[in-house]
Amino acid sequence: MSISFTLARRYMAGRKLRTALTTLAIVLGVMLIFGFNGTLPGMMEWMRKSMLASVGEVDLNVQSASSALFDQRVADKVAAVDGVAAATPVLRRNVTLPEKPDYHTTGITVIGIDPVVSPDVRSYPVAEGRMLAASDDDTNARPVAVIPASTAEKMGLAVGDELVVPAASGAMTFEVVGTLDSPVPPATDEVYVSLPLAQDMFAAPGRASAIEAAFEGGADEETVQEAVGDAVGDGYVIGSVTADSTLAAGFEVAGTIFNVLGLFALAMGGFIILNTFRTIVAERRHDIGMLRAIGASRRQILGLFLTESLVQGVLGTGLGLLAGWGFATVTAAGMSELVGDLMRIESFETSFSVSTWVLAITLGMGATVLSAILPAIAASRITPLDAMRPQLGDVYEKAATKRGWVGLALVAIAAGMLLSGNDGLIGLGGLLLLVGMSLGASAAVKPITDFFSRGIELVYRREGALARANLQRNPGRAGVTVSAVMISLALVTGIMTMTAAVVGGYAEYAEKATGTDYLVIPQGLMLSGGMVGAGPEMAEAVRSTEGVGDVATLRYAPAVVGDLTVQVVGIDAEEYAKVASFRYSEGSSDADLAKLADPDMVLANASFRAQTKTAKGDTVEVMTPEGARTFTIAGGGNDYINAKLPTVYVSQEALADLWGVTADVMVLANATEGADKAAVLQSLGATIDGFPSFKLYDALAWQQVQNDLFGQLEIVYYTLAVVLAIPSLLALLNTLAIGVLARTREIGMLRAVGATRRQVKRLVVAESFLLAAVGTAAGLVAGVPLGYVIVRSIGAVGLEFDFVWPTTGLVVTVIVGLLFAVLAAIIPARQAARLDVIRALRYE
Amino acid sequence: MAIVETKGLTKVYGTGETAVTALDAVDLSLDPGEFVAVMGPSGCGKSTLLNLVGGLDTPTSGTVTIDGREISQLSDDEITRLRRERIGFVFQFFNLIPVLSAVENAALPLILDRGGSARAAAKAEEWLERVGLEDRRANRPDQLSGGQQQRVAVARALVTEPALVLADEPTGNLDSKSSEEIATLLRQVSSEWGRAILMVTHDPRIAAHADRIVFMRDGRIVDDTKIAGAESARDAMERVGLL
Ligand SMILES: Nc1ncnc2c1ncn2[C@@H]1O[C@H](COP(=O)(O)OP(=O)(O)O)[C@@H](O)[C@H]1O
Ligand SMILES: [Mg+2]
Repeated sequence: MSISFTLARRYMAGRKLRTALTTLAIVLGVMLIFGFNGTLPGMMEWMRKSMLASVGEVDLNVQSASSALFDQRVADKVAAVDGVAAATPVLRRNVTLPEKPDYHTTGITVIGIDPVVSPDVRSYPVAEGRMLAASDDDTNARPVAVIPASTAEKMGLAVGDELVVPAASGAMTFEVVGTLDSPVPPATDEVYVSLPLAQDMFAAPGRASAIEAAFEGGADEETVQEAVGDAVGDGYVIGSVTADSTLAAGFEVAGTIFNVLGLFALAMGGFIILNTFRTIVAERRHDIGMLRAIGASRRQILGLFLTESLVQGVLGTGLGLLAGWGFATVTAAGMSELVGDLMRIESFETSFSVSTWVLAITLGMGATVLSAILPAIAASRITPLDAMRPQLGDVYEKAATKRGWVGLALVAIAAGMLLSGNDGLIGLGGLLLLVGMSLGASAAVKPITDFFSRGIELVYRREGALARANLQRNPGRAGVTVSAVMISLALVTGIMTMTAAVVGGYAEYAEKATGTDYLVIPQGLMLSGGMVGAGPEMAEAVRSTEGVGDVATLRYAPAVVGDLTVQVVGIDAEEYAKVASFRYSEGSSDADLAKLADPDMVLANASFRAQTKTAKGDTVEVMTPEGARTFTIAGGGNDYINAKLPTVYVSQEALADLWGVTADVMVLANATEGADKAAVLQSLGATIDGFPSFKLYDALAWQQVQNDLFGQLEIVYYTLAVVLAIPSLLALLNTLAIGVLARTREIGMLRAVGATRRQVKRLVVAESFLLAAVGTAAGLVAGVPLGYVIVRSIGAVGLEFDFVWPTTGLVVTVIVGLLFAVLAAIIPARQAARLDVIRALRYE
Repeated sequence: MAIVETKGLTKVYGTGETAVTALDAVDLSLDPGEFVAVMGPSGCGKSTLLNLVGGLDTPTSGTVTIDGREISQLSDDEITRLRRERIGFVFQFFNLIPVLSAVENAALPLILDRGGSARAAAKAEEWLERVGLEDRRANRPDQLSGGQQQRVAVARALVTEPALVLADEPTGNLDSKSSEEIATLLRQVSSEWGRAILMVTHDPRIAAHADRIVFMRDGRIVDDTKIAGAESARDAMERVGLL
């Protein structure tokens, strides 16, 4: 065995550049996977802590499953359970504070509590001033509030100061009567007010967001929990807090992206290793044959190469782990600085669990060894006689031709699937297309290089022709590189196509939504998350503003269908149709919207229908605070703001009856005909000033905001796409470097017969351009259908967009491809130009 | 008993119209310790004969018997073991692994045979000493002259104490002085260390070191003569028309 290691080590050391490039291919993937998975648990732990903090010291917490508000009298049911010492309703809402320079916070949680019962359930250690008292329930008295000391400090408030908080009816001014020493969840600021005041503020009379309870001493927690569950019935969650999960979801998405990036990098690494090992086997043909002749068995030859791949894997994986560790440490340090500053909690640490180690090592080693297996088997098949023949047999080319035909057949089948119109087949077709094109790549090298080299030969006449001949001489290796470049660039094109469709699609939605002249929306963009709504005063004020014609309002409540949290949006169908419109799904129209007059009818958006697997005409059971209700889907329609989330639209009456929600979260208004729109905007502005958590936009301004948002989104996607292409840069670099090494003698000969360094450099650059051009062309051909597949598949999960021809994407892909050609050529070209003629000629 | 015996050994490359009969019913036998040179024009089938005898290729018909075992009956692994244990090879090119030192190259067959590497190295050093390379044992092939490289190859061929050494134009790539040295070494391998040698060569001066010269043409043996020294070798060659 030790001879295998000796050979592996020495062979690898003898080809430092190639070894380095091959190693790099593994390092990248392992680093991403290891680094991210080492950071994630810390982040999760930090989040868990922050959630725990928000539950505080409460024994038991009851919330509606959908996190919708519910009747506060549920507290009585809980209090009546054996083993419960006290239970009290709580109303928690997040509000966005109006922008004010001395408030170093943008959001605040208003917590309505019963000043009498609540202290029995959790502790409120007073730091200064006093705690809320029973007398503070009086909604006619001057409103008072108590805040945690940390919030007071952050907002520059002291006992006796005033605090203005947005409310449904506009704004409410509180006098701070006390500060608390209680712990506050990170990143939140809180205001405690009496429950009736809070219900008043949020136009939610008699409603609570949670019931908090304390156990009697000695009660068995589980038994009590069960009893409470029975007492409150279906539709409630006992114990755990369904905290704001958008952050968690964000981390999860980021985690998936990193892991996918890592896997992709490793897959590309696999390509590179395959390429390297094929070259190694070809290069050592004589050595292998000789070893076989003097008595090495096939298995020993196989072992020799697998050992080398093992050494390569250990090297790459080891360095990858190291780089991943560095990446995680730097990220953690950076985040700690950021987070610690912002959220007043201790820093989070990296933690590399056993499974993270196993994952990273398995994938790193696995990708390396797996990719080396085929070349290693090929090596074990080399006969002693092969070694004595001067030239490589044409085995490779025959295999390439065969693969080419298989590839072509696959591409044909894929094309059929893509055109079938069936989502499942289309997805499969996209995959098949990539596989087929990869297989066909080596067979396609000759015709395509013939085509492209004409262009290059216009610039570099002699070098271009030589470069083409070089590539065509080893179509296998060129094919692997072309496949690598192709897959990367196909992904780039695919993502660009998706971006074009999504951005274009949203723009269309946005335009539909802004058939209206003015929008009044909450400071935060989305409707969800306990955003404060406005009472009827705001819509009324808008209506009575001079020059304002039709007005429509949107209301919001969360609900649960099966396990899925959905949005319920209340609209007045008649009003809504006058100022805005839906982007109806096929087969639906305004007639279906009118059906919402029936309280059992809903309009469902594409996301809702996709995730609940329902269609127009189906019935669907929705969990409401009043229990489960069955609705009939009257039709399919999407509105811009809610398109991303599963949403049903109901009448505002139904929303009030079942969810008790009457607050508006959005007001759409049109100007009367002939009115001076600018003047109307101005007077509306004055009206909205009284509602500090809302913002007024005219159609144009709002669209501008949306466009900016899309601009950012586009940049994110484009960056992602370019990052995805990096492994293919490595593949290109690797092939070129290998090509230069393999032709050392030939380059020496060229130099000896009078080629200048510049000409040799050009030769390599021309080869790089040819490879990149072929890969890019294939990437474009494969990428557009891939983009189509992506658009279709996000359509299948409920984001309906039309496929758009991705012109920008194609241009970007071509630019990326050509840029890579230049970048990848730099090192090998210099290497080739620097070759010492004499040594090169002696090289064997 | 003969160490090597071929009976009706025939090799046809290709089929149909393009078929080439590289070897045509060759009967040949070598006694233990006998040094036999194979001569003949290029393309007459010399390498084919050696490859078949060494079990590197399979005959179209006929048999090869080494040490009393007919190798067409053996599996690939068994032939591989036979090569490793009973046959040493010296080729014209690509004899040595470029990243291994002289002693490591010489020890290769033993290492492949799972011999303890210390024992293998000791044996290899012993043979390097015998071929006169004791002060070059740590050098890599690119630091050795062509003649020295072939000596390492000879040491490697002998390290397993084989019964038979096959050498296909071992001096084909060497200058005349080095060629002479290698020929002398091979002579020593045969007469002093008792190994049978089957050697292909174009060079009459090299062939003259052998005990016997086999002349081939068009895949057949046309003459098979015992010689003793350069004089009788020249006579034999003249008779065959090689000179
Ligand atoms: N692998 C092969 N395929 C086809 N023909 C071959 C092969 N190897 C050798 N030959 C042919 O067989 C004949 C004998 O070759 P060889 O034994 O190599 O001759 P030499 O005497 O020069 O060593 C030649 O005509 C050669 O062209
Ligand atoms: Mg020959």
